[in-house]
Amino acid sequence: MAPSFRGLQLANRRKTIGLLAGMGFLVLVVVYAAMTYFGKTGVGVLPIAVGIAVASVWGSYYSSDKLVMTMTGARIIEESDNPKLFNLIQEVCLASGLKMPKVAVVEDSAPNAFATGRNEEHAVIAFTTGILGVMNRDELQGVVAHEMAHIANRDTLVSAIAATTAGAIALLSDFLTRIMWFGGGRNRDDNNNNQNPIALVVSLVVIILAPIAAILLRSAISRRREALADATAVAFTRNPAGLRQALEVLQSDNTVVHQRSTAVAHIWIESPLDSSSVSKLFSTHPPLSERIATLRAMEANPEMGNAG
Amino acid sequence: MGTTWIIIALVVLFVLFAIMTYNKLIRLNVSVDEAFAQIEVQLKRRSDLIPNLVETVKGYAAHEKTTLENVVAARAKATTASGVADVAAADGAVTQALRGLLAVVENYPDLKASSNFLALQEELGTTENKVSFARQFYNDNVRSLNQAVKTFPSNLFAGLAKVGAREFYVVDDPADRQAPTVKF
Repeated sequence: MAPSFRGLQLANRRKTIGLLAGMGFLVLVVVYAAMTYFGKTGVGVLPIAVGIAVASVWGSYYSSDKLVMTMTGARIIEESDNPKLFNLIQEVCLASGLKMPKVAVVEDSAPNAFATGRNEEHAVIAFTTGILGVMNRDELQGVVAHEMAHIANRDTLVSAIAATTAGAIALLSDFLTRIMWFGGGRNRDDNNNNQNPIALVVSLVVIILAPIAAILLRSAISRRREALADATAVAFTRNPAGLRQALEVLQSDNTVVHQRSTAVAHIWIESPLDSSSVSKLFSTHPPLSERIATLRAMEANPEMGNAG
Repeated sequence: MGTTWIIIALVVLFVLFAIMTYNKLIRLNVSVDEAFAQIEVQLKRRSDLIPNLVETVKGYAAHEKTTLENVVAARAKATTASGVADVAAADGAVTQALRGLLAVVENYPDLKASSNFLALQEELGTTENKVSFARQFYNDNVRSLNQAVKTFPSNLFAGLAKVGAREFYVVDDPADRQAPTVKF
């Protein structure tokens, strides 16, 4: 049985929830470790860490459309600038029931595209001049559908939640290790001397390693959202071949978007970072070959090919 | 004392659930209406393109009378159609007639290369896609509504919300009825 986009959407949504729950659990583990090691001081730092993480991430989430536009140098275009592209986007709007997003172009010869904005009303989808030049109509439609799928799935929100949690964990760990360096905190206020050395060592290891675990979880969430966007794109166009061919074009292309700012790496359709420089576990995107294989398998599904 | 509170809590939960389900059914029903309106918008767009297309083709292939008349007749019929089944049938006829016309165009290289026709081509292509996506979106919405109307427990509230299963938008397309292609 060939996989259907409905099944794949469901599976990826479930995995996202599982991973987000994993992050929540990680926060609990860190707090527990902090309590074991530092007693009440450990808990005292929690609201500060969470507060800073929320403040820093949600500001950029709220103005994500403007922020990302500035960081990538994207420029808003009008329908008269590229009527064909607007036709494609209007088609996907009809297929998805989404509102027409703002459309932007990034002057860059490397083929790539991204979507951002906190909700449907503030959504922006952007394309590099490279991708507009190199792809045919079906391929570009697949790319448009993938970006619109990010909007439909509220991926700016999902990644903001993941970033907040990962950020809070990183700050918490940072604070606690600092307190440790200055020798402060530990059991000064509560004199329960039931500390066994193993529990202390384990707590210490947890506090130090938690940020890495959080980054791994955050990357895993990003990868699931990419796979979900591919499945949702197929739900919109019912044409897995278009997106598959588009990804093959990206795969055969060696140029990489010039800006290598890791801060916005996760929003592009293809990761702008060299695959060699980032280990698979830390990658924000599933490997292109894996995404292509999944789409190819969907092409065998009898549901495909009759958009009528 | 304890049991009274439990009963009150259960009643409150039930009422909340009923309100949510009722609203969901109404929402799904409204989405189907909106999706159908969107099909009509796109059909109208296509209908508006046809006179221009017919004029352009006439300039190069005036003697392809039957094909041209088919398109004009199908378009005229489609403007009076109402109701899902009628609109779908008229839509199918226009799609069919247009396909015939575009097949004829293939025999006229001058026409195909003319600036008028080239300008129309992208417009026709995207319009056909838009019509087709609007149909798909409508059918997706009908699918969700019908699922809610027919499955437990939302089916219990369908009568109360005066919402019933809706009709799918089926375009009878002879191209689909051809011999099934065998793939290995």
